[in-house]
This record gives sequence, structure tokens and C-alpha cells, in this order.
Amino acid sequence: MIGRNAARDDAAPPGARGRWIAGRALTYAVLLAAVALVLLPIYWMAITSLKLPREIYRVPSLWPQTITFNNYRILFEDKDFVLAIRNSLIVSFAVTLISVFISSLAAYSMVRFRYRFRGLFGRVILFAYLTPTSLLFIPLSILMARLGLGNSLHGLILVYLTFSLPLSTWLLQGYFRSVPRELEEQGMIDGLSRFGALFRIVVPLSAPGIAAVSIFTFTGAWNELLLALVLITSESQRTAPLALNYLITSDVLPWGPLMAGAVVSSLPLMILYFVAQHYMVQGMTAGSVKG
Amino acid sequence: MAEKHHWTRRRVLGTTMAGAAAAALGGKRAALAAPALQKGSKVTFWGGLIFSDKANKLLVDTVNKWGADNGIQTEAVMINQNETVQKVSAAVASNTMPDALDLSLDLLLLLSRQGQFLPLDDVYDSIGKAQGGWYAPVASSTDTSKIAGGRTGIPFGVSGNLLLRRDDLLSKAGFSKPPTTWEELAQQAAAVNKPPLFGLGLALSNVGDGNVQISVMQSYGGRIADDAGKTVTIKSDATREYLRWVKAAWDKKLFPPGNTTWDGAGDNQAYLAGQAAFIANTGSVGIAAKSQDPELYKATLYSSLPGGPKGVVSPIAPQLRAVPKSSKNPDAAKALIEHLAQPAFMNAYYEAAIYGPVLQDQAKFKAFTGGDPILAGLLDLVQKGTAPAYPDVFNAGYADMFNNFMIPKMVQRVVIDGWDLDKAMDEAQVGTQAIYDKYK
Repeated sequence: MIGRNAARDDAAPPGARGRWIAGRALTYAVLLAAVALVLLPIYWMAITSLKLPREIYRVPSLWPQTITFNNYRILFEDKDFVLAIRNSLIVSFAVTLISVFISSLAAYSMVRFRYRFRGLFGRVILFAYLTPTSLLFIPLSILMARLGLGNSLHGLILVYLTFSLPLSTWLLQGYFRSVPRELEEQGMIDGLSRFGALFRIVVPLSAPGIAAVSIFTFTGAWNELLLALVLITSESQRTAPLALNYLITSDVLPWGPLMAGAVVSSLPLMILYFVAQHYMVQGMTAGSVKG
Repeated sequence: MAEKHHWTRRRVLGTTMAGAAAAALGGKRAALAAPALQKGSKVTFWGGLIFSDKANKLLVDTVNKWGADNGIQTEAVMINQNETVQKVSAAVASNTMPDALDLSLDLLLLLSRQGQFLPLDDVYDSIGKAQGGWYAPVASSTDTSKIAGGRTGIPFGVSGNLLLRRDDLLSKAGFSKPPTTWEELAQQAAAVNKPPLFGLGLALSNVGDGNVQISVMQSYGGRIADDAGKTVTIKSDATREYLRWVKAAWDKKLFPPGNTTWDGAGDNQAYLAGQAAFIANTGSVGIAAKSQDPELYKATLYSSLPGGPKGVVSPIAPQLRAVPKSSKNPDAAKALIEHLAQPAFMNAYYEAAIYGPVLQDQAKFKAFTGGDPILAGLLDLVQKGTAPAYPDVFNAGYADMFNNFMIPKMVQRVVIDGWDLDKAMDEAQVGTQAIYDKYK
């Protein structure tokens, strides 16, 4: 591509090449600035996690004068952060799997079947998602206590589903609508049941959308703090954001361990996005233009 | 009107002697007639998570050991004090409160009015009698008898503000003694003010640290409300005098940039970053500096807050333990709270934590006589400090005004928006009166 442009520019009149070079330089300068803008906070987080406390406060610099892993030692040995990461993984994977499965059925039903109050159900689901968490945390904590699910990962999974299911269902409706009805009908003529048509035709064809919804759901569950703060009491049940929050115990912030925890907490999400970025872009585009 | 309690040396010595005599005469501990604790029953305890990991661990270990010794199953959970309100609000609503918990005076008063806690007068009297009596400001400020029909909280520690100063810089500038007045503080701060090091690391923002300005205003004679605690009296000559002091210091650029928007950690970070010569803090900065920046720790000295024309106003903030009415094991919860007041445990706890004592005999603890400057400052605070809100009345209106940061906001009008002092006072007066009127 660049070679073709360069060949074309050789034949260009004098001055055009200069403009082309200037244009390219400007493009890369803007891209570099955008990358720096995005990466600087991540870089700052990473290097702060490697600094001594005194250096963090006294000598704000782009590179540590003395590299230390003590912040990570505090995190893993003193604060048992591995347990929090494990809890977050359990909750996030469980919420994602359950949410995608149930919302696939719900979205398919709304897209393909005709029944009374279908539109109303659709709107109620959306309204449920739009209700602020801060209004719901006390009613939800009462509900969990009455169900005997307070202070447990099961309770947390159930509560997170109340937020993830509406969004997942709403998003998946858009993707499912993009699958031609005729494909399912042909499959059913060939002997597939309705479930077979859903799971063998619609779901595979909506894979990018399902991947995007899964990533959104996983990220939401992974990052959630307020409900975890209210519902979880025991140290052994704390999720990663909650464990990070518990590092702040006074008006002096332990920046080193906090940043180390932020780095460790970011890794699963970074890996997930890196692996699924292709599906993510494809899924978002499909949902936006065909929904 | 709230009573101010001055502790003269004679009074302290007299009380100490009386306490020692009482102990010598036999009452090592006037324990409650211990109710039979139900073996195998369970007690859940929510402790207040504080800056010191050592203190947190000690508390959990002590609770668990008490449980093991008494055949009671214990669950000790440390709750982040920054989130106690959300946690307790949800627990009250869902009826999942623990059997005993640590909480601040504000929250205790609020929930006591709602009838959430059991009266603990017997435990309070027993502990007080055994350990030389409660410090007067602690006793008066934590008395919930009028609103809850009895004492619902057992104090276990006191925090408040100390003045931290950079002795290394101030000594070089010729100031070897701490400032005793706010005017002196401004003079000393001006002498070492060389940006990026600023003299006065005091918050003027809408956070708890910003409310230190209420104490400064009160020490100048300014008041939030009248003695009945109903009519707001912010606009006065005394408040004007206080605002002149702040404005003069601001105009001399003694405050670090951003101090009108600092969060709760702003002043601490400025001090730890070497950007402030003075800050008012509970002592947590000192503890942090001890492990993270020994050089700064050595260069730091502690004293009580300076005073104004009307004397020193340095409010204490008691921390308490309470037993919810919903407790399924109240006798065991009360026994646990009494156990946690035992001298051996409290001495070790105070050595690791950043609380001042609440009982007269605790002043003799090694923790407070061992030469630790922060703990000595906290002892000084409880002996010379004032009850919360003093000279104002600590009521619902005051608490609401406090949580709405009316005084820091008034100061911001003067230093940021450039308002005339009277106009700023008028706005604070009207806004605060509206708050007080809600509770008439």
C-alpha cells in the first residue's frame, strides 16, 4: 500500500511529495499523541507499582530510581490478593456464561416469536438495566439476606445477573435480527428443532455479537464495586475491586500496593480484549448497523 | 451549652493518684456479674479497619482467642471505616447487623435515635469504675441517654487533629517551639514558604480535613449557632476576624495549590511529598512516614492545634463499640466488649493504633508514656481537647452543617471567588440556618 503510494508520488509534480510527507508526518504525530494519551496512565500505573513509597511521593519521575517488587509482595503475601483474583474470576465467568445463555434464549424469543406484551417485556428489560445501582443496593441486600445468599459469591453472581441480563438481551436482539429467518426455516425443514435452529444456526452466525456481549458482561462483573462492598463481608469472599478498596484504610493512600493491585487486576481484562479484539470490533459493527 | 473540660496538671495528677489508690485498695477490676455465656453460640463482630495492620490483626486475634477461651464461635470481620456507613445502612435494612461493631460517634448518634442499639450502661459503668473513670470530654460527648434512654456506645479510642510541623526547616528559620496561636502559625509558615514547599498545608476543600476551619473560626470566637443550637450566628465580628486571617495567609500564597479541591488525602500527600511545612492530621501521616520515609519522620514534630483569641478549640472524635438490638447473642456481645476494654489488650492496641486513651488509667499505659510523639500528642489531645462541636451544641443541625462543609465553602467564596467577607458570611448564614430549620 505504502509502496504503491510512493510509486504514484514519484510521478507527482514537485511539491506534492513534500505535502505527502508532511501529511504522513502529521498523521503519525496525531496517532502517537493518541497512543501516548491512552498508554500514559497505564505506564504510570505500572512504574508506580515498582517504586519505593518515598520515591512515589517525593520524586515523581517517568522511571523508578530503584526498582522494587515489594509492593507486589505486600499484595500477594500480606493481603492475599490471589484469593480476590480467584473470586473475581469465578464470579465474572459464572455471570458471563449464565447471562449469555439466558439472554440468548430471551433475545431469540423476542426477535422470532410473536406473543402478547412482547414489546412491553422488551421495554421493561431495558428500564431494569437503566435503574441506577445506587438506588438498588439496599433492596438487593435485603433480598439476598432473605434468600440466605448474603456474603456469598452465589449471591453476588445472582445480583450481577440482574444487571447483565437486560443489557445482554437487548444487545443480542440486534445481532439475532441480522440472521435471515430463511436459514432457520431451511434447517428446520432438514429436521432441526427450534433449539437446534437457535444453537446450530443463529448462535454461530451471531458469534461476533455474542463475543462482544460476553466481553461487556465479563468486564462489568469484573469491575463492579458498590454491590460487592455492600453484599460481601468476609475477607475470603472479597473480589478484586473490593480487595483493592480495602487497601485504603485511612487518609494516607498506599499508592505502591494499590498500583500493583491495579496492574494485576487489569491483566485478565487486557488479555481478554487482546484475544477477542477481532470479534469485538466485528460484533460492535454488526450490532450497530444491522440492529 | 456544651461543657468545656480543661485538664490542669493538678487535676490530672489528682485523678491519677485517685485511680492508683483505688486499684491498690483492691478493685483491679470491678467486673460485671458475668452472665452465663452460651457455649457453642456464635458472635459476629465488625471491627473498624485502621491504618495499622498490626492493630487490625491484634483485634481479630483477641476476639478469636476470647471466643476459643469461652467456647463461643466468633467471626471477626474488619470493615473499612471509609465504607462503614454504606455497610451498616444495608445491614440495618436487611436485618443482618453483627452482634457487636465499631463505629464513629456520628453514626452511633444517628442509629441510637432510631433505636438500633441496646443500652450498655452496666458495661460502661463497670469499665469506668475499674479503670479510673472516663475522660470527661469522652463521657459527655458519648452520652446517648437523652436520645436512646441509656448509653449505647462504649468508647475505646479518641482521634482528633494534631499539628505536624517540619522541624528541620522551622529550626533553621529560628522557630524551635510550636506555634501557640493561628497568627504565630501563619508567621512561621511564611518564614519557610518557598514554593514548591508551602507553609500551610491546611485543606480548604469540601472534605473532613476542611472542617478543621470550623475549629479555627471557633477559636476566634465565631460560632455556628446560639447556645440553644437553633439560631445560626455565623455572621459576626469574630467570624470576620477569622476570615481576615485566612485571606491574609491566602494572599501571601502560604497554601499549596489545589488545597481548595483536595480530597481527604490531599494534605497528607502534600506533607509526604515535602510540599507542606505544617498540616493538621490525626497522626496517620506520622505512622506512614515512620515506615515509608524515616528521614521525614525524624524531621517531624507534633503539637496540639494553635489557639485564637478565645483559646484552643481542638475537638475529639471518639470511636465506640455498640451492640445492635437485633443481636442474637447480646450477653456474649457485651462480654466481648468488656473483654476488649481490658488494660493488657488496650495497651498493646494503642501501641499499634493511632487512638488516644478514653479512660484515666490508660494515661499510665506504656503506649502513652513510652516516648512515641504521636501517641503522646493523642494523650495530650484527650486531656486538653474539647468535646465535639464545642463551643457549639452537637446536634443534628450541626452534624448536617458539618457534612455539608458550610465553613470551608464560605472560605472558598472569599479566597477563590473573591467575595466580600460580609457577602460570604451572609451566604453561609442563610444556608446553615436552612439546615438548622430542618430539625426544629
